[in-house]
Amino acid sequence: MSNNDLAGEIAKLGTPWNENENPIWIATSLSLQRNIEKFKFPGKMGLDRRQQVVALASGELIEKSGLDKPILFKSEEISPLDKEYLMEHFLSMQSFLHAHGGEGFLIDSTGLFLTTFNIDSHVHFTLIDTQNELEKAWNRLIKIEVSLGDALGYAFSPKFGFLTPDPHQCGTAFTATAFLQLSALAQIGELEATIKKLQDEQLVITGIQGSPTEIIGDIIVLQNNYTLGITEENILSSIRSAATKLQVQENAARLRLREQEKPEIKDHVSRAVGVLIHSYQVETIEALNAISLVKLGADLGWIKGITTPELNQLFFSCRRAHLLGHLSGAVNPEELPHKRAEHIHKALQQVTLTI
Amino acid sequence: MNDKPPQPEQPEDILKNPPERPLECSECRRVIRVRYTEVIGNTCNSLSMCSECPELEKRLQGTKGTQSSLPADGATGLACGNCGTTLEAIRIGTLVGCSTCYEVFESVIIDELQRAQSIPSRLISGKRSQILHMGRSPGEAKEMSISVRLVALNEALNETLAKEDYEQAALLRDQIRDLTEKKGSENVQ
Repeated sequence: MSNNDLAGEIAKLGTPWNENENPIWIATSLSLQRNIEKFKFPGKMGLDRRQQVVALASGELIEKSGLDKPILFKSEEISPLDKEYLMEHFLSMQSFLHAHGGEGFLIDSTGLFLTTFNIDSHVHFTLIDTQNELEKAWNRLIKIEVSLGDALGYAFSPKFGFLTPDPHQCGTAFTATAFLQLSALAQIGELEATIKKLQDEQLVITGIQGSPTEIIGDIIVLQNNYTLGITEENILSSIRSAATKLQVQENAARLRLREQEKPEIKDHVSRAVGVLIHSYQVETIEALNAISLVKLGADLGWIKGITTPELNQLFFSCRRAHLLGHLSGAVNPEELPHKRAEHIHKALQQVTLTI
Repeated sequence: MNDKPPQPEQPEDILKNPPERPLECSECRRVIRVRYTEVIGNTCNSLSMCSECPELEKRLQGTKGTQSSLPADGATGLACGNCGTTLEAIRIGTLVGCSTCYEVFESVIIDELQRAQSIPSRLISGKRSQILHMGRSPGEAKEMSISVRLVALNEALNETLAKEDYEQAALLRDQIRDLTEKKGSENVQ
């Protein structure tokens, strides 16, 4: 396969956001790190050993795990842009850009499943859920994990659990990350207090880029703080519980906005529509913040002509790598804000304000 | 891609041609896991030991008067016999190199996990010998049921009722009822 074919395959990834009707709880990603018993961890392996791990683990996954049309991409064969695309698509908090020889990525046709090889651990599975069916997603993930473990044997100790290069991630080596868009709470100025109230030693709360202070697109990210000394069930339950509480509070805030006259918030939403429809060029963060307000407006019935799944999809497609993947031909980086604006105009061409 | 699957790396392979290193612990004849280097004045002594070696324990704890011979900064020269990761590297936050490192540096890793609060607070003051892992073991394919979701919804419902937000509470109740019915029908099947 040539580089272009690989890029094409990545760009053809299924788009689960198209089916996501939930205006608040955008997605949850479940990830498991595993290392193969008989090998040293990736940082201590030479290139040939790392390549062996990729061949061995990907071979087993392709043949026996029941994945739908799995495809392996060796890191050295795909462009930095493709790696960035994968990072955006799978909502990864970790950059794949530094991935080099002896590392790889395996995806399937659903666009929900990713395995990275040797980036941190030998194998790092990620499964995205957009339907609020975390338990179902977990059950699918664990079947894949068990099928590979049966064949290769995982590094495990009864005391530390599944062993990882970073001891802070051993134990279950399981991370659950929920992404919620809390636009109404942000608009009425209750977001900070709500998050403060939710704080718990089991949870880490940040923004989409991992910073607890920089909230982009009103997206709050909930992640488990511990992987050791806790069961997988407890991790999932604490994330579900916190996300459900946030969702309820955001719903209540939206209800209040529907019932009360809040001209300043209507103004924010109207301006966001203006920015997205009329700007000549727009940067990613400005676009994500405005899309969040448009989503809020659509949910409150202030905007017509676009659905929640379409806006969720736009949220992804206007990010750098997705946009470049969507545009054919080379684009000068200086032209990108203009191309983004054009892409958004097209997506919002049916949108009308009703307030 | 090779037709033949590559053979996994065996610890024995690594130890096949060790430079002047015996295959057994110098003290108790078990398989070696640790390379211990001690520098006293101008003399450098290296020993290879198993991770449970009482001699290693003595030297690290400084019993029998050996403490004074260790460097003042705590750099003991301890290294993993499988991958060569050193204690010093672990102490400055380098990632561990292999499964054996967890045995060799067990107490250092526990200290670090406690210091960084990477384990729940109820485990921080526990005995060092306690099992920290509470999750699945390899091969366990225990599925999760929708009960996890029911618990979360019930928790949210209680909080909503405490706030007297009856509209949200009604929505939550509907979700709980739908899930309970779904669970019931799954059980019947």
